Amino acid sequence: MARIPGLRRLMRVERGSAGIARAVDDELRFHFEMTVRELMNSGMNPDEARREAERRFGDVQRTRRRLAEIDRARIDQQRRAEWWSGFAQDLRYALRGLRLKPGFAIGVVATLGLGIGANAAMFSIVDRLLFRPPSYLNAPDRAARFYFGRTFRGKENIQSYTGYRPFLDVRENTTSFDAMTPFYVNKLAIGLGEATKEMNVAVSGADLWRMFDVKPVIGRFFTAAEDTPPDGTPVAVISYGFWQTQFAGRNDALGEKIDIGPQKYTIIGVAPKDFTGFSPEQVIAFIPISPQMAAGGWGTRGRQKWYATYGMTWLEVFARRKPTVTREAAEADLTRAYQLSYKKSLVDNPGRQPFDITRPRAIVGPILHDAGPNKGSDAKVATWLAGVTAIVLLIACANVANLLLARALRRRREIALRVALGISRSRLLMQLVTESLVLAFFGGLAGLAIAQWGGGAMRAVLLGDTLTGSSAIVDVRLIVAVAILATAAGLLSGFAPAFTAVRADVASALKAGSREGVMQRSRLRRVLLVAQAALSVVLLVGAGLFVRSLMNVRNVRLGYDADRIAWVGLDMRGVKLDTIQNAQLRDQLLATSRTLPGVEHASRGLTVPFWMTWDLDLYVAGIDSVSKLGDFTLQAGNPEFFSTMGTRIVRGRGFSTTDVSNAPLVMVVGESMAKKLWPNEDALGKCVRVNEDTMPCTTVVGIAEDVRRGSISETEMHYYLPIAQFHPQDGGVFVRTRGPAESQVEAVRRSLQKLMPGASYVTVTPMSAIIAPVVRSWRLGAIMFAIFGALALVLAAIGLYSVIAYNVTQRTHEMGVRVALGAQVRDVVSLIVREGLRVVLPGVLLGSLIALAAGRWVAPLLFEVSPKDPPVLIAVVVTLTLTAIVASLAPALRAARVDPNEALRAD
Amino acid sequence: MASSDLDLLQGTLDLLILKALTWGPKHGYGVASWVRDTTDDTLNVEEGALYTALHRMEQRGWLEAEWGVSENNRRAKFYQLTTQGRKQLRLQTARWTEYAGAVFKVLRTA
Repeated sequence: MARIPGLRRLMRVERGSAGIARAVDDELRFHFEMTVRELMNSGMNPDEARREAERRFGDVQRTRRRLAEIDRARIDQQRRAEWWSGFAQDLRYALRGLRLKPGFAIGVVATLGLGIGANAAMFSIVDRLLFRPPSYLNAPDRAARFYFGRTFRGKENIQSYTGYRPFLDVRENTTSFDAMTPFYVNKLAIGLGEATKEMNVAVSGADLWRMFDVKPVIGRFFTAAEDTPPDGTPVAVISYGFWQTQFAGRNDALGEKIDIGPQKYTIIGVAPKDFTGFSPEQVIAFIPISPQMAAGGWGTRGRQKWYATYGMTWLEVFARRKPTVTREAAEADLTRAYQLSYKKSLVDNPGRQPFDITRPRAIVGPILHDAGPNKGSDAKVATWLAGVTAIVLLIACANVANLLLARALRRRREIALRVALGISRSRLLMQLVTESLVLAFFGGLAGLAIAQWGGGAMRAVLLGDTLTGSSAIVDVRLIVAVAILATAAGLLSGFAPAFTAVRADVASALKAGSREGVMQRSRLRRVLLVAQAALSVVLLVGAGLFVRSLMNVRNVRLGYDADRIAWVGLDMRGVKLDTIQNAQLRDQLLATSRTLPGVEHASRGLTVPFWMTWDLDLYVAGIDSVSKLGDFTLQAGNPEFFSTMGTRIVRGRGFSTTDVSNAPLVMVVGESMAKKLWPNEDALGKCVRVNEDTMPCTTVVGIAEDVRRGSISETEMHYYLPIAQFHPQDGGVFVRTRGPAESQVEAVRRSLQKLMPGASYVTVTPMSAIIAPVVRSWRLGAIMFAIFGALALVLAAIGLYSVIAYNVTQRTHEMGVRVALGAQVRDVVSLIVREGLRVVLPGVLLGSLIALAAGRWVAPLLFEVSPKDPPVLIAVVVTLTLTAIVASLAPALRAARVDPNEALRAD
Repeated sequence: MASSDLDLLQGTLDLLILKALTWGPKHGYGVASWVRDTTDDTLNVEEGALYTALHRMEQRGWLEAEWGVSENNRRAKFYQLTTQGRKQLRLQTARWTEYAGAVFKVLRTA
């Protein structure tokens, strides 16, 4: 058969659709010809013979179609099998290749693992901050958090917090929502006596349960009837976790009483596992808003009850749009209702800003706080960091591409040989890309491990306690993200090297020695190095800026010694004290804390920086309206207040023991307040009337340094009153400790707790813990940028080293010639190092330009540092240059030690 | 043709084809004439069904097809048994014998 011409073509498997049909027809035609000929041989005439043949065959057309169908299926099947076996072969080949070079494989997997791991960890954080809806939420696309905008002094202030009365107003006057509930989380005292602990409790309306797809594990959820003002019914749904730890999951937990804050609640149900409502933190129980507010004493103290007043703001509102209503329509509806509510509030409080100035409006915003208009700087920094980790991954990919490229160059003879032996280039390309995908796969696994191990730590740094309670780090969403990242990384780092390798000219590669043809092909490697250097510069500049910001934040004078101060707060439970008893209790706490060995000074205080402010109407002769000049906040304290806080009195005096309730009223004002109220005049001795303009004079007796207590970046206009003359029954105690406040907190708490009546208790919080969340975004930026920047630098250094080292080995011959011709060690070293710098310096330049251009985006996150801060830029440029020198020094020294005899003989 | 006959025929037909090919590669016409000759025309095999069976068995991997040149120098598609096809033949022969034996036994006792 082999002798017959055209046989190869004949035997070729017909693959196309037309080819299949033709093959079937050929086969059948042969059959009919043979049958007809046989029948004619046995004596039939041609017509009879054809008819007989057709009769014997049956339905020809149907069979034709059927045969083509079967063949098509067979060929598809075959093709798939071939693809898979090719893939399996590539896979085996790749794995074998990597087993033979374990060092290379480990290096690549570790590099990709770090890059992917950093990204995975950041993804899990950003996902939770910005994308992932609360678990169990029903119809997440229709669920919303309400925001309210009001214009104040020409600036619109958007807030998600509001009061119960506006909530009632908008619930009554909107038609766009089928569920709406107030929601907030309070830290409330749980349990009694020594075991008392403050834990998160979610407070809401009964609509909460309709907005989630949840069923009670046991018992039931609370109803609207149990949440009817004024008092409601004190019932609680406890969390699954609390049920397990406190009641060992027993069914008889139902009906038990539990102390939450000042009141006993009856347990009526258990919420499903990990259910937290709209809270990003774990909560231990869910209670209706009415009993909580009624027991808080809010029903009796003010002129109006909590559910009737427009003067209280403490809750957020969540709602679900009806399926038929668009977000825009719902927003218009809500705005109308909110404006109506604002007008009503003007009737109650005529002192509020008029409607036309406030221009109130409402926003139907996203459920997640950090996706909304009020996102915190943590979320912004986290988003930035996600970008940063993406850059780290790019650098890692560039490094891997570099390593693969070096490998491809080393293997170019092998590859050329295989091409010469007939492997198709596309097949070869597949094989090489498969290799990098295998590497990326293992890199992805390493990344998941790193994310699991490092992600928890990272989350703690990034988000503090906000999310630490929520579920495991590695979950389906993360695995999908990592799979995508790893595939992208594999393709990104594998494609260019594979393509370069495959494109190589077979003949020259086979002919060439190990030296030739390398220089021009390493251009791609140079480009990669330049990119790496540039990206490293960007990250390091970011790190520098955040570190400088953090340093500035740390060095900023707050106006008090945060590290040495702790706040003693009182939580009254189950006892009703009158004004005098309240004042006495606080004075007792003060007296006792002064006797403690760890306490240097102590003073009563009314407000805590960053936690709360208190302001009053002030009247000053010659000033039309003091409140138009800005916000003036107050503090009250004892004579020891200023020495306790470390706030310096600039002029005049602090308080003295003679500033008692029936003595002349006195005050101390901050420097900027003094300047604002009496520019060009001495504030000492001036008269301020507090609260009403008919009040007697409060005389300014001292001027204190400015303090920062609402924001780190701005000082506040602040004044101080002697607590003996102002609200002696309120507030708590500041203690100044010997040594860091953290170390004394527990001792102070234990000693003072003994004084507390009934179930009441004290909390002691170091000032540093109060400031920590305020400083966190800078701390976070500094730490993470520094880590990622260092990672980038190390990766870039490794990349540079490997390229220089590789080039040096390729140029052994040339070095030998140079040394033989009399080049000194110094000459060779400087030659190689200069080569390294030639690659790195353009990268540094490019990176600096990018950093300068990107600067204005990051500027709002910095603290008193220009994004074009020269010291940072210079430091980064120097660091990178030094790194380049160090990375090329080792190969340079090796090159200088080349023995010319050996080098020249070698090739 | 009734479908019950077809079912019976199909299993039988596969077996006949496998058997036909034990003597070496054959084209479809060859298989058809072999079946007719060997059974003395007692089994009325419709040739369309025969070709369908051939193609399906090729798809299953029991047969391997190759274009070649026939005795009279014509281009034809030749089928031959694969290892898997030989295994099928052994298997189906055993099953058929067992089946036939069981039926005979019933017929004799009745």
